[in-house]
Amino acid sequence: MLPQRPQRLRGLGAVAALIGAGAATAGAITLMHEGPPSRAGTSLPRPADPAFLVGHPAKLADRPHTSWWAPVRHGAIARRAPTPSAEPVALVRRRTPEGTRNVIQVLGRARGRSGALWVQVRLPSGTREVTGWLDRGALSGYDFVNTRLIVDRRRLRATLLRGGRPVFSTVVGVGQPSSPTPAGEFYVRNRLTRYRSPAYGPIAFGTSAQSTAVTDWPGGGFVGIHGTDRPELLPGRVSHGCIRMPNRAIRRLGELMPIGTPITIR
Amino acid sequence: MEALDRDGALAETAEPLGLCDRSELLRWIGGASLLVGGLALPRAARAASRKEDRDILNYALSLEYLQASFYTEAERLKSLRGSFKEQARVVGSHERAHVKALQGLLGAAAIKKPRFDFQGVTEDQSQFRDTAVAFEDLAVAAYKEEAPRIRSPELLAAAIRIHSVEARHAAWIRHLAGALPAPDAFDEPKSRRQVRELVASTEFVVAKPTTRSSDDPNFIG
Repeated sequence: MLPQRPQRLRGLGAVAALIGAGAATAGAITLMHEGPPSRAGTSLPRPADPAFLVGHPAKLADRPHTSWWAPVRHGAIARRAPTPSAEPVALVRRRTPEGTRNVIQVLGRARGRSGALWVQVRLPSGTREVTGWLDRGALSGYDFVNTRLIVDRRRLRATLLRGGRPVFSTVVGVGQPSSPTPAGEFYVRNRLTRYRSPAYGPIAFGTSAQSTAVTDWPGGGFVGIHGTDRPELLPGRVSHGCIRMPNRAIRRLGELMPIGTPITIR
Repeated sequence: MEALDRDGALAETAEPLGLCDRSELLRWIGGASLLVGGLALPRAARAASRKEDRDILNYALSLEYLQASFYTEAERLKSLRGSFKEQARVVGSHERAHVKALQGLLGAAAIKKPRFDFQGVTEDQSQFRDTAVAFEDLAVAAYKEEAPRIRSPELLAAAIRIHSVEARHAAWIRHLAGALPAPDAFDEPKSRRQVRELVASTEFVVAKPTTRSSDDPNFIG
């Protein structure tokens, strides 16, 4: 039951008095501190200023161009729907043909009928859209990127976007008409450096794109983005399907493009 | 584990997956000794104090990395609703501010952010809730253990300002979880060993994946 009005007023008054008393006490301490020493001959030391201040908390930046990826924790079968009984689409391995940890682009999530969490992923392929569903446990922790590489086969240019804005552009060499660079949506899987082969230049990025024309290549016929020892051929339709660029450009791209970056080839 | 995890909040996330790099984890959290013995000169003692304080700040930074990454991932994945969404948004912004401040203070001496695998707990509201309760209680207990060890009064003044914010976070998430925000009249600290064991049991800290190689490319050229 609520107290009668006079009692409530008394209660509020008591709170106000308490706050007032607190202020008075604080004032008394201030006086003691600033005034002469007390009878005991001591005064409160001035409290230390903090060694650092924590800045104003900032909300998470709205990043509309963000995409996510995750390392493959263990080999698993990707399925057409988020259920263990759905048709298998592909085997997702833990390692890439280059021996690095396989990573996979994540497109979405869903709960299966049993309540288990599934993730929709983009699968390595040579065509525009091949996706599948993996049990969430097949993947490790997520990582987020806001970069995207656009490869324009008609204009023979590659452009890196960050947050939707171009930050890098270069001429490229793409596949010859007999072995075209596949068009579609892919992503960066790994980065190779300090290898022996001069034909790939100083840096080579491995992608999830697979050639549909060169099918008997060791390692599955994956498309790389790399430098060259034949810069005079660029720009042009000169490769077996890989994306070649001048060595200076691939070095710069090596500084700007993180693993997991989505690639649009059009 | 049960003694450390009063609400059992982390117990369900501790399923061993065999992928955590233990040595990296131990390096990451609480690996350095707090005690520097045998230094008699005042100058050396001051340096030792600075080293000890730096060590404590890096320990705090490691816990702030854990919390900031946890809330940021939950917010990015848009997996929370209602009050939990708001709690993650606000607390995440605080934890990121703590990380930034500690990094700024430590400069080049700041430990690097490790890689986390939250194993789906940021994608499920009930698992998020239980883990958040455990993390906030853990942070409060860890700060409480370290604060009396800080030599610099200025650093202590800053640390207790963070500590009280962590306590507010703990009360907030405990309230949302239906637990008593302040269950005891006198809080107990948690030692580094206890904190290390609890964090290790989650296997949330993982090795960075090897995505670089110097093998000859097999690409089609």
